[in-house]
Amino acid sequence: MPLSESDVRAIADYARIALTDEQVPQMAVDLNSIIDSLDPIRRIDLEGVEPTFHPIGDLSNVLREDMIAPSLDRDFALSDAGAVEDGQFLVPSIMGDE
Amino acid sequence: MVVTRGDAPMPVDIAALSAAQIRAGIIAGRFSAHDVADAAYAVIATRDTDIHAFLELTPSLAYAAAERVDAAKEAGEELPSLAGVPVAFKDNMNQVGTKTTCGSKMLANYDSLFTATAVERMVDAGALPLGKLNMDEFAFGSSTETSFFGPTHNPWDLERVPGGSSGGSAAAVAGGLATITLGSDTGGSIRQPASFCGIVGYKPTYGLVSRYGIVAFGSSLDQVGPFGKTVEDVALATNALVGRDERDCTSQDCGTDFTANLHAGVRGMRIGVVTSMNDAPGVQPEVVAALHEAVENLKGLGAEVVEVDLPHITAAMSAYYVIGPCEAFSNLSRFDSVRYGYREPGCELLSSQESLSRAVGFGEEAKRRILLGSYLLSSGPYEEYYVPAQKVRTLITRDFVRAFGSVDVIISPTSPRAAFKFGEISDPATMYLSDLFTIAINIAGNGGMSLPVGLGRDTGLPVSVQLIGPQFRDENIFQAAAALETCYRIEHVAPMARPGAVSRVVEPVMTIGSPTPPATMKGGE
Repeated sequence: MPLSESDVRAIADYARIALTDEQVPQMAVDLNSIIDSLDPIRRIDLEGVEPTFHPIGDLSNVLREDMIAPSLDRDFALSDAGAVEDGQFLVPSIMGDE
Repeated sequence: MVVTRGDAPMPVDIAALSAAQIRAGIIAGRFSAHDVADAAYAVIATRDTDIHAFLELTPSLAYAAAERVDAAKEAGEELPSLAGVPVAFKDNMNQVGTKTTCGSKMLANYDSLFTATAVERMVDAGALPLGKLNMDEFAFGSSTETSFFGPTHNPWDLERVPGGSSGGSAAAVAGGLATITLGSDTGGSIRQPASFCGIVGYKPTYGLVSRYGIVAFGSSLDQVGPFGKTVEDVALATNALVGRDERDCTSQDCGTDFTANLHAGVRGMRIGVVTSMNDAPGVQPEVVAALHEAVENLKGLGAEVVEVDLPHITAAMSAYYVIGPCEAFSNLSRFDSVRYGYREPGCELLSSQESLSRAVGFGEEAKRRILLGSYLLSSGPYEEYYVPAQKVRTLITRDFVRAFGSVDVIISPTSPRAAFKFGEISDPATMYLSDLFTIAINIAGNGGMSLPVGLGRDTGLPVSVQLIGPQFRDENIFQAAAALETCYRIEHVAPMARPGAVSRVVEPVMTIGSPTPPATMKGGE
């Protein structure tokens, strides 16, 4: 079943991307065209096949000792942020209506 | 390649020298590393206005590196393997002192906070970091047309794309602007642009090179690798890049010298040909012809050619366009408008600041992929597409393991066609077919190299083959590629970068013809 425009709005909302009303119809066309091309995935016999989530088959958790080491200077780490106050990231209100 | 000789001081022609020749020239005192940097920036100044491979130049870093090389030479020290070699990095690789834009408005003002291990290892090997290279936005693309900073042009024909996503990396080498460049490859992003630009491009086996400091796209697919004019240059760069890095837990120890087998030949090697793959729909006749000629050449060199079957490879494309966007959706969630990246001004709520910043900061293709991932990871599609795609990965990996039970290397085309013109492919699903032959290798995690095999008989543009090795047996690829390379007399840079070329005069590629004859083929047609 192809994605509807309201489906597109829902997944955009979940992805935190504000689409304009003008952008939604074209995005629906593009996504449906790509999803159509994924069809071979559904037509292969996968009975009894285990999924592989990672190309190095025998690699499991890689752990190391917990060590104290120098890390980024705080002011340097904050230097790419759009807004900073007292050595911390500054954000607008997290609750309210808009 | 033109080999320069003589003891007198001479101007350095970057396009004509291999990495080893540059290091040897510095050791012999024919020129200094400083001279090499001067020469590189001089050609960039004249040629890159047309090519637009570079997004940022870093002369202070390059000249500091040159000074270290020249001081070491002065002190009589042994010079490291890439001493004085001009290099440049795809702009998704962090390097302190540079921006790392990923070709996106999202990161247009982002200053690198740390340096990628791959970058660090090239500089530690004595290379001169010239600057950062253009790419498709966040590596989403096959043409470098999606860069926020404008496209890169193919040095062979400025009307055509250089391929992508590492288009700047390929064009810089083909245009004679740098000797070695680094790119990243998630579904073909090193090999396909190398093919379009007629140079060597190599994606190592997943786990050979650390990805620390590279902006992630598809974490189970991404790998960093080098571009160069010759197999030897790429082997030297690979030696510098590989090995365990505790900051990337997927990186593995590697004791291989990738230059060791370059002269071993292919006598007794078994080369696999996948008939179903090579006759896939949409593959241009000149690509098939060049592949057949390459296979004949390998036979002529003493290799045994064996047909192998990869029955599930037809599903690789769709598995990739499930796995890639899902991983990209997850990785690109880090762009939250708070810690770094574009921040829409004037928002009263954090939630609207985040979704507006992402709407404005990401381009169209990035948005498409993120939304596709958002959809495919939702309940329903997850069971219908995502889990099956990972099961298909199991089948494709088994296909390769089985095939490599009877062969040492598999050969295929790199790209179904030579470089296309700007705007020629606009439908996303058609654009994705550019990576038909390269994608399965990322899914299985094997290494693959694109090797130029002359000019297409119909287009006159570079055409390449892909050599694929078993996981962590990438030395097989280098052995076969170096042998096959000897069958061709190829100019390793585009006509515009060759001695005697008049800079900034662009001729239609079909009329360039002489003075450089097309690659001569042994055997074949």
